[in-house]
Amino acid sequence: MGEVLIKAEGVSKKFAKDLKRSLYYGLVDMANGVMGKSKTRNLRKDEFWAVRDLNFEVRRGECLGLIGHNGAGKSTLLKMLNGLISPDEGTITMKGRIGALIELGAGFNTVLTGRENIYNNAAVIGFSREEIDANLKDIIAFSELEEFIDMPVKNYSSGMKVRLGFAIAAQLKPDILLIDEVLAVGDLGFVLKCFKKIDQLLPQTALIFVSHSMPMVARICNQIVLMDHGKTEYQGFDIPTGIGLYYNKFSTSENSVLFDDGSLEVSSFTLNVDENNTLKRGEDLVVVLNFTIKSSNVQLVPSVYLEFRDKEQRPIAGAIVKDKKVEIINNALRYTITIKNIPFSLGLYSIDLTVGNFETKEPILRINNFCSFQVASTTQMWVPIELDANFTIENHTV
Amino acid sequence: MLETRIYSNSNTYSILHILLSSIKGYKSSFYLAKQLAKRDIKAQYRQSLLGILWALIPVFINALVWILLQRSGAVKLTDTPIPYPVYVLIGTTIWSIFGECLAMPITTVNANIGIITKINFEKEALISLGFIKLLFNLLIKLGLIILVLSVYHILPSSSIFFFIPLLLLTMLFFVAIGTLLAPIGVLYADISRMIPIAMQLLMYTCPVLYVLPKEGFLRQIMMYNPLSYFIIDVRNTLTGFDVEHWFFWLGAFVVTGIMALLAMLVYRVSMPIITERMSA
Repeated sequence: MGEVLIKAEGVSKKFAKDLKRSLYYGLVDMANGVMGKSKTRNLRKDEFWAVRDLNFEVRRGECLGLIGHNGAGKSTLLKMLNGLISPDEGTITMKGRIGALIELGAGFNTVLTGRENIYNNAAVIGFSREEIDANLKDIIAFSELEEFIDMPVKNYSSGMKVRLGFAIAAQLKPDILLIDEVLAVGDLGFVLKCFKKIDQLLPQTALIFVSHSMPMVARICNQIVLMDHGKTEYQGFDIPTGIGLYYNKFSTSENSVLFDDGSLEVSSFTLNVDENNTLKRGEDLVVVLNFTIKSSNVQLVPSVYLEFRDKEQRPIAGAIVKDKKVEIINNALRYTITIKNIPFSLGLYSIDLTVGNFETKEPILRINNFCSFQVASTTQMWVPIELDANFTIENHTV
Repeated sequence: MLETRIYSNSNTYSILHILLSSIKGYKSSFYLAKQLAKRDIKAQYRQSLLGILWALIPVFINALVWILLQRSGAVKLTDTPIPYPVYVLIGTTIWSIFGECLAMPITTVNANIGIITKINFEKEALISLGFIKLLFNLLIKLGLIILVLSVYHILPSSSIFFFIPLLLLTMLFFVAIGTLLAPIGVLYADISRMIPIAMQLLMYTCPVLYVLPKEGFLRQIMMYNPLSYFIIDVRNTLTGFDVEHWFFWLGAFVVTGIMALLAMLVYRVSMPIITERMSA
């Protein structure tokens, strides 16, 4: 195992909610600082803990994923790690050269050309003149902006600016790398390239990665800190558990009716799940839907479409149910839908319901997040579907 | 051995330690300051047709107003020892340098608040950056002064050798005051609004546009105003007169030295707090 490069012990930071008061406290802190008195540790009026009592360590070659809702304190923590602001309590120890992909392209002046701005940004993030000269070619090549490098940055798209910014920052050979949701604007090709670069850096680097994209977190992190209102809610090396908890924060039981022409209503439904709303992987899923028809417009038995979404809200599977032969007799219909051997991997899944006219295919009722259920499995996988593979493994002679 | 940084809440560093780290900050960030100065100067003139003339135009217009007032007889001024246009142009040029120096720390910090709150670098770079830009503007203004002096055939005497040291000391004096004001000035916009107004007002209590009167109330005020001596002697060195107030300059040297150290200390201690308050 590599040496510990980042160590946070009991780190806390407070902020004031009110601007005027915040400025006043700043003044008081400065006066105390100049006099050599230490800051008050208690909360003053209108203050709250933006980060409270965080403890973790990251070794060389490790990546810590920092996740949590907006305003959970992730960026504040990152600013403390970067040395921009000092903690109000606790200690942070950082060993080695720090690279921060927090703000790409800081120090750019948009009137100047890309080439000129490489020097500006590189100087700001800590390159010496010699290092910039030596790396200039690599930076331009990595950004893939050869054609536009002598154009004012003003005319760059936001994606191009990020490309250039990342290309510069990627040339730093840091011991510690802090990444804050900066790769979101690049196109897919560039994001993949960035990950390749991060993969290259990772063995020599202790990485802290802040993101709302759980696939990215799952891809590179081996440790997770889940923050909620400044506090640690989960911390550990079990990535799927951490991510699962993160998703649970946003799981709502509320469905949203997208379309309803009033001619039909779901009177009740059941899923064959246990008391924990859970089904075992490989079992059959049985959905029973009871409809009440309220309008004579519905002459034919409507078609039903179920769409399954995983916790990332990605649509992953669908089932179509329709039958012309059934006649409507007493305006109450029951659909019993069985889906054989559910292949989903462990996690939470939701179902979107669409009821449509059998012939014209016009929608009658659409409900998103109609219901949801948990799938239990012995293996944890990031992908939503775990395929059953038949295989043989044997020794063979060449 | 890897460089280890420890961030915590302790303020137990000695004053000497803070001053030393401030000096280290100035040294290690000089390349950055140069690079950013290059950036700002280039960008400033790239999107402009008149370019560096903009450094002169305000000074020029201000002087022009007074030259016209004096010519037309609208205001009656005591005769100046050198032609009035030279007197007033040099006066307002030097005065504009004072004002720029005073406002520089706040202006520079505000202009770079974006990187301050995002990137960890030695914030001393910003003061160096501002100083380099001041020196650049100074060169342009000196060009104007040399032009005016040669048009009026005014030859400096040997006192010209004191021009650069005295001017630099004066600039340092104002930059130090500006830096001491910066922490409050960045938090509260009031200070940066106040500076131009105060400088305008102070200008009339100094012999910038007219000579020190022989007697009267205004003379009293000007004699008590230390800024008068800055302007009188700096102008003297340019126009062939001797430096009159050596004792004042000795005092200014000591005071500036103390204020510069104090400014370094205050700036170093307050910048992390500024960062915190501006990004929260």
